[in-house]
Amino acid sequence: MKKVEVEFAVNGKKRSLSVKPNDLLINIIRNDLYLTGSKYGCGIGECSACTVLLNGEPVLSCLTLAAAVDGKEITTIEGLAKGNELHPMQIAFLKNAAVQCGFCTPGMILTATALLKENPNPTEDEIRDYIRGNICRCTGYIQIVKAIKECAHGEKTN
Amino acid sequence: MSQFKYISPKTKEEALEILQEKKSDACIVAGCSNVLPNIKNKKINPKLLIDIINIEQLKGIYRKEDKIFLGPITTINELLYSEIIFKEYNVLTQAAEHFADPLVRNNATIGGNLATASPAADMAVPLLTLGAIIKIESIRQKREVKLKEFFLGPGKTVLQDDEMIVGIEFKQSDINKNGYFIKLGQRKAMAIAIASLALNLEIKQNKIIQIRIAMGSVAPMPIRLTGVEEFLRNKEIKNGLIEEAVNKVSEEVNPINDIRASGEYRRYIAGILFKRAFEKLANILID
Repeated sequence: MKKVEVEFAVNGKKRSLSVKPNDLLINIIRNDLYLTGSKYGCGIGECSACTVLLNGEPVLSCLTLAAAVDGKEITTIEGLAKGNELHPMQIAFLKNAAVQCGFCTPGMILTATALLKENPNPTEDEIRDYIRGNICRCTGYIQIVKAIKECAHGEKTN
Repeated sequence: MSQFKYISPKTKEEALEILQEKKSDACIVAGCSNVLPNIKNKKINPKLLIDIINIEQLKGIYRKEDKIFLGPITTINELLYSEIIFKEYNVLTQAAEHFADPLVRNNATIGGNLATASPAADMAVPLLTLGAIIKIESIRQKREVKLKEFFLGPGKTVLQDDEMIVGIEFKQSDINKNGYFIKLGQRKAMAIAIASLALNLEIKQNKIIQIRIAMGSVAPMPIRLTGVEEFLRNKEIKNGLIEEAVNKVSEEVNPINDIRASGEYRRYIAGILFKRAFEKLANILID
């Protein structure tokens, strides 16, 4: 199958790649760029473990063709921290033990950052509604919601 | 995943020319949120994907005199956050809120939701009560089809294999302002409706002047309940009327058994959804 040339930025770095027309973005990110933070879960848009930011908006990279992101900007979980300094959402997840097995965490954190960009002061209901597609099969939602709330409102926890 | 070629034209004309040449070998895509799972599950096997997401002519939400025009590649989130849709066609905003989750709504498009022709299509149901017209083009011709005549069955529409949706249009009117959407799913996120209902209503002095009812997942395609509409039009709202209408809703729908619910349950719940929607909207309008 004839390959397609694409150029896009990943976490601020320009990348030029030859991809197959049927390559999913999630597979290119994981297998070609070795950014394995984004997870391949269901592969059919049911679990949101593969969430990445595309031009700043959260999308599912298992429902996105690599060929279709030519010229766009992608942020993966690896792109959130600045050097050794974690993103406030990552710190909030750590502090609140909002991570159990960790499989949903990268997608969950990216979705949460997108929520706060849209709505800096969400209510608990708004948080739950926004992350409704991001499945945590450890069912640790209480800590996740708490972490997002803390990150938004800057509440202190011990 | 099976192999296919991919092309992303920049103009509508270019897309239509490629479609004219490749016909049923090609599949028009935009957000891909339905097409990719369908290819994976081997439900469809296109040789070429024509991605229309970069075609500016097909984007946007505009007012055109007394009508509103939606470009087919308008995403569900763009609809959800549109001021004019919220004010004038609120039933569509409500349906967009129920659609999948905020992430999929960034990919999924209004045209894609219609072209997929799922009997459960969330956006088709409110567009039916808004009286939407689908604008269709091919190299051969341009035509318009009423949405209620657009669907032919599960996954089937009146679109010929060289045609594509180039716009969706509906009129500004009093009835289109007063809408209510209700969806019953197994969970909130990503749910395919067990049943969904849109209602648009105009009431004057306790009398139903105009009413439009549409439902999803209760027939081979999203449908208007014209029999119930006919029964309720020009009737005064009084005790017993809605109960009678609820029975008529259950009679008019034609649901199947599937993994999400039995046909019998759907028939029953269709009436309940109508009752809930009617009471909610009538209360708002009468107050």
